[in-house]
Amino acid sequence: MTWILLDRCCEKCTHSLENPCPDYIECRLSGPLCHDDERCRELRRRRLEELRYGEKGAKIKVPMASCTLAMGAEAVYRAVEDSVKKMGLEATVAISGCYGLDFIDPWLELSAKGMPTAIYANVKPSDVPRILEEYFVKRDVGGAFALKEKTGAAKGEDKVPLLSELGFWAKQYRWVSRNCGVVNPESLEEYVASGGYRGLSRAFKLGPEATIEEILKSGLRGRGGAGFPAGMKWRITRQQKATPKYVIANADEGDPGAFMNRLLAESDPFRIIEGLTIAGYAVGANQGYVFVRAEKPLMAKRLQKAVEEARRYGLLGKNILGSGFDFDIEVILSAGAFVCGEETAMIAAIEGKRAWPRQRPPYPAEKGLWGKPTAINNVETLAHAATIMAEGAEKFAAVGTEKTKGTKMFCVTGAVKRVGAYEVPIGTSIRTLVEELAGGPPEGVRVKAVQVGGPSGGCIPASLLDLPLDYETLQSAGAIMGSGGIVVIGDENCMVDVAKFFLTFTSAESCGKCIPCRVGLRVMWSILDKITRGEGTEEDLQVLRQLAETVRSASLCALGGTAPNPVLSTLRYFMDEYLAHIREKRCPALVCRALITYRIDEERCIACGQCALNCPASAISKTEGGKYRIDESVCVKCGVCYAVCPVKAVYKVSGAG
Amino acid sequence: MVKVKIDGRVVEVEPGTTVLEAAEKAGVEIPRLCVVPGLYEGSSCRLCLVKTPAGRLFPSCNYRVYRDEEFLASTPDLWEMRRVNFELLLKFHRIECWACERKSSCPLVELSKELLVDGIPVCSECPLPPNECLLLKGELCLGMIAQSGCNAECLVSGGECWGCRGPITREDLLERAFARYKELGFDVKDVVSKAEIYWNSAPGFATVKKVAERVGSRG
Amino acid sequence: MGKLEGSDEVGVLPDKVFEGVPKASYGLLEALRRVQAVYGYLPPEGIRRAAEYVGVPFAQAYGVATFYHQYSLEPIGKYRILVCMGTACHLRGNSLNIEFLRTFLGLKAGRKTTEDRMFSVEEARCFGCCGLAPVVVVQKPDGSNEIVGRANPRTLRALIERYRRQERGGAK
Repeated sequence: MTWILLDRCCEKCTHSLENPCPDYIECRLSGPLCHDDERCRELRRRRLEELRYGEKGAKIKVPMASCTLAMGAEAVYRAVEDSVKKMGLEATVAISGCYGLDFIDPWLELSAKGMPTAIYANVKPSDVPRILEEYFVKRDVGGAFALKEKTGAAKGEDKVPLLSELGFWAKQYRWVSRNCGVVNPESLEEYVASGGYRGLSRAFKLGPEATIEEILKSGLRGRGGAGFPAGMKWRITRQQKATPKYVIANADEGDPGAFMNRLLAESDPFRIIEGLTIAGYAVGANQGYVFVRAEKPLMAKRLQKAVEEARRYGLLGKNILGSGFDFDIEVILSAGAFVCGEETAMIAAIEGKRAWPRQRPPYPAEKGLWGKPTAINNVETLAHAATIMAEGAEKFAAVGTEKTKGTKMFCVTGAVKRVGAYEVPIGTSIRTLVEELAGGPPEGVRVKAVQVGGPSGGCIPASLLDLPLDYETLQSAGAIMGSGGIVVIGDENCMVDVAKFFLTFTSAESCGKCIPCRVGLRVMWSILDKITRGEGTEEDLQVLRQLAETVRSASLCALGGTAPNPVLSTLRYFMDEYLAHIREKRCPALVCRALITYRIDEERCIACGQCALNCPASAISKTEGGKYRIDESVCVKCGVCYAVCPVKAVYKVSGAG
Repeated sequence: MVKVKIDGRVVEVEPGTTVLEAAEKAGVEIPRLCVVPGLYEGSSCRLCLVKTPAGRLFPSCNYRVYRDEEFLASTPDLWEMRRVNFELLLKFHRIECWACERKSSCPLVELSKELLVDGIPVCSECPLPPNECLLLKGELCLGMIAQSGCNAECLVSGGECWGCRGPITREDLLERAFARYKELGFDVKDVVSKAEIYWNSAPGFATVKKVAERVGSRG
Repeated sequence: MGKLEGSDEVGVLPDKVFEGVPKASYGLLEALRRVQAVYGYLPPEGIRRAAEYVGVPFAQAYGVATFYHQYSLEPIGKYRILVCMGTACHLRGNSLNIEFLRTFLGLKAGRKTTEDRMFSVEEARCFGCCGLAPVVVVQKPDGSNEIVGRANPRTLRALIERYRRQERGGAK
């Protein structure tokens, strides 16, 4: 059997699960520590090299995360296995998480001793044999998307850019996402080899109080949206006298357009498990829970696997690393309720009840799960905590702003060329993220607004793109940092429709417990609906504002409390669009169905009939001239014809038709 | 004991007392609907919200005091918030006071008076129980579609309601009312004629006529 | 473990169905999921069984079953089509896709399952695959998920026709 890094190097090692060595983690990389033996050092060196290049000196890495799987990564994996067998290649086929660069999914990463590590983008199964042939046989990397280093040993190196020089990578500061796309998410060994669990080990050596001090010193603020200092939350929980205490990892990432947590959990789950263990140690809790959003089951699967591996090697269970601290984790998959992201609602869900939030105070740190002191942290916060304990608070605090230190993962989606997850220092401008990292809008599209913070956030107009991404600035601009989801809205979208869309979401997700949210959001939605149908009045705007104010201040929890934000921010920055709908019964972006008409430009029409074939209302038919025409009296304005026409002969005009 | 100041009045209470309980002791009235001590923790209706001098809002039914604190319970913005909240609650409530056994002890009726919210019919103030309704005796009383707030003077004196405070304009209520008029043998046109006496220049009369016509023309 | 074919009769589920489910309050969500995996929806007896297994009152379990989106108290289709209504997917056209699906499958007036119980169409919250917007996920009868990225009426129509062919052919 192959020796792995987690095994004992020789008989002299005293570590066992029954009698763990406190230096076990440090020893994996820099050992042996308790005795001197060149053979033991060589064992580790060789294994690290095997992990890097595979046991045969050559490795093919296939990313298997939700994003890549949806783009056919499984078929690519099978093609790789097939080709390796057929070609008789001496190469290891391995899996990894994802870098977060959705626009190159599915990608492949090839490495071999002496060769530059090369990334190939948008790989189809049929491309695989050619890619493998080029890299391993011809030693030619000319067809790669990017290289991780240049060795001068391969052909075509000058044709391919270095990853570190490409705009979307160079500007990132991959602190907490360092392992995403690099390691095998199911391997504890690879996590430890990359430096994992040094944080927990150091926490044990410092003790719980000093651990909390370190987190406080780093200035780490909760990355789930509220931005509450993590160290303070842990301190308050620790100070409570009631027992038992609990820690919960909030993996209920529900903001549409946010997949930072999903990426972290699928690509580097051990970091989160380690962070939760450190949290438990710091506050004095022996049981942790991870609550995962229902729609993201692969997250739960990977986290569950990580928990099982950690248990196997004594990093969960009794007397972890000889510290005297017992800790275990239960992974729970939700069943579909956005409100579970609210801490008190999550607590109710874990208690087997309807996910109704509770009035605070008392806060969960004081009275949480089953009425006991509970510290709940977002998954990204916990990953940061583990990294801070390993690397030190100063390194974390070296970037960021005055009030908020460190980095944050942001997901940029919508009207951009490069949809993906990007980690940057807090204080980076929205423009840098949208234009430099995400590549700006596609051809022919102008950016109208940027939605920051999901349905709880606000729409920031394109003119304010230079605003820095930090909690206070965003709040005064009418948005919130939220979980870090940024949706870029192009000029072909209607801002009134966007506001209505978010209200559709929040009003449906309202748990129903309090009046302002349950009823108020529905009434606000019906006013917006009226406006999009061209039946709104200016008085409606007044009522809308008044309702928004009441719902915002009187709601029980942050779901209702922030749901009016998209409405308030669009009223603030896009009043012209509202007024056009009201005064002129016109939708400037030509989106609101009741205010537009679809027509076919018969000159452009090539009579392919796709529009008629797909029309759900059978409203399109052939004219005597052979071209197609829409019967406006039957047309339901669904837009299918517009979407399927291959020559863009279908167009929209203002007017109810 | 801790000192709680509410709207300027100070009371001493045991630590752990809710602000609502303290307010009762202090003689400050705060509206509330959902809290049932021992059964439901409250904080759902949001009517009892009070604020600290710094402006933070808390539901008084649920916030327990453990040290000296001050609250404001009767500022204009709080009353405005309560009014809007209550209107939202009423919006989806099936208002049918003429058939409701609780009409003489209904917290929604009390709140509508306290918060000056329209939309509750005169039936809510009528001293006659549902089975002694004047309509059952063939007398055309406009109570079902008329705005309450007059303490139903006419009905107290033994006569029927003429609707002098104005029409109710909520269509779902008007639909049910006119359907009942029809059921009891009244012609909706007669109802409209009687209503016209006081309502002919009331803005809401058009809605009343529209619904009457709709219900009347049904089979 | 398959659906009870041909009838809505609900038997008593053996403990094996709940293997791995913690007998604690936080096991309820998974227990209900297992019941739904067997019957295709949550009949009251199934909810009762789940409640009994994890040790919570039936009324509480019923409250949970009616609260979360993924549970259905009415039979759902063999192929459960979930249309993501996240921001990116909405902006890129899923509102149009869901309407197309409903019209194409003849689902009127809020009904979410076809007459032959073959397909159901539901709105789903964000799957976190925003790079592929608009996203449609199909939960297939064999338990696997098919993720359709960059969905449009043409690909959706082809998808449904493919499933219909597979069903008719009998073979998988």
